[in-house]
Amino acid sequence: MNDGRLPIGLDPGDLDGHTIEELTDYLDAGRTPTDLSIEESPGCVLALDALERLRALTPELIARDEAAEPEPDAGWIQSILSGIAMDARSGRRIPLAAPDEWSDLAITEGAVRGLIRAAENVFPGILIGRCRLHGDVTDQDAVIGVEVEVSVPFGEPIAQLAERLREEIAQRLSAHTRLAVEAIDITVHDITHWAEGAR
Amino acid sequence: MLSAADDRMVAGRAIDGDIAAFEVLVRRYTPMMCAYARRVLGAGADVDDVVQEAFVTAWQRLSELEDPAAVKSWLMRVVGRKAMDRVRSRRPVIDIDEIDHPAPSHRGPVDAVETRAEVEALSAALAELPEPQRQSWVLREIGGLSYEEVASEMGIAATTVRGLLARARKHIIVRMEEWR
Repeated sequence: MNDGRLPIGLDPGDLDGHTIEELTDYLDAGRTPTDLSIEESPGCVLALDALERLRALTPELIARDEAAEPEPDAGWIQSILSGIAMDARSGRRIPLAAPDEWSDLAITEGAVRGLIRAAENVFPGILIGRCRLHGDVTDQDAVIGVEVEVSVPFGEPIAQLAERLREEIAQRLSAHTRLAVEAIDITVHDITHWAEGAR
Repeated sequence: MLSAADDRMVAGRAIDGDIAAFEVLVRRYTPMMCAYARRVLGAGADVDDVVQEAFVTAWQRLSELEDPAAVKSWLMRVVGRKAMDRVRSRRPVIDIDEIDHPAPSHRGPVDAVETRAEVEALSAALAELPEPQRQSWVLREIGGLSYEEVASEMGIAATTVRGLLARARKHIIVRMEEWR
């Protein structure tokens, strides 16, 4: 079994008085500052090699485990989606123009975000990420700001694309809400190189 | 296209209430989360419920995720916590076993070709650890938790976690040497 290799020992007697805990901490610290009582101990160096090897193998184990798991099936995913509360993300209540003085009509902040996100459909390759409404949207007279993060397709002039997206969002908000939008800030956080046929 | 977008984009939309984006996260991370829960709970455990519960909780608490780009590690935390809830519910008292191991032998330099067999050996060594040792190792090395976080998840002292981890590492290293 032992083909002439040195036996590894992991107890303090094998490690010149050091412990596995100490050696793990030393590795965690990137083996700095250099500790000669560790580095010059053959037992410690063997143990450090083994600990490092174990550490290097761990991502391989994670990848192997993950690959062994089946893809989630549609029914399973559906049971999660049907179990989550749709109103959990609805946010604030934004008043709309009521048809008469006895009515009270409103749209949720979540629905307004959905409205803003849908503007991406007009621009192939654009994705709208986080979207925030600044200001007191519950007050129908308040002036509000919109902030969106987007990723844009590679190769298109970003400034023009952003301007057209801004106009599209403004038009949608004015058509469907009575929010007094003062500014629409667009931050491009990613430029994406979509593969052929990805859409 | 959303399914190819980065985590920051997808999680950002999920935070904003986009169910389609949340579904992308479910598809993207279910295998990883199942694998992690299986390592925490041990072979044969029913991890489907644990992972489903984790996603439901994740949806409810998504607004607490400050950095959408970090959604992967955040989901790992959520599922790790659910798995430990399951451990506590099936066995309330943690019994910290000490195991003694036979003398090991040292191995030569790393060879990439051996990696696959070594990963199998690691997998098997992990599976034979006593539960508290396995859980502490998995939470620390796969879940990426700090010693203090592992201690809090397991309901034990951080010094105990260090001891468990040292024993787990020794056992794994020794077993991997033996199987070589």
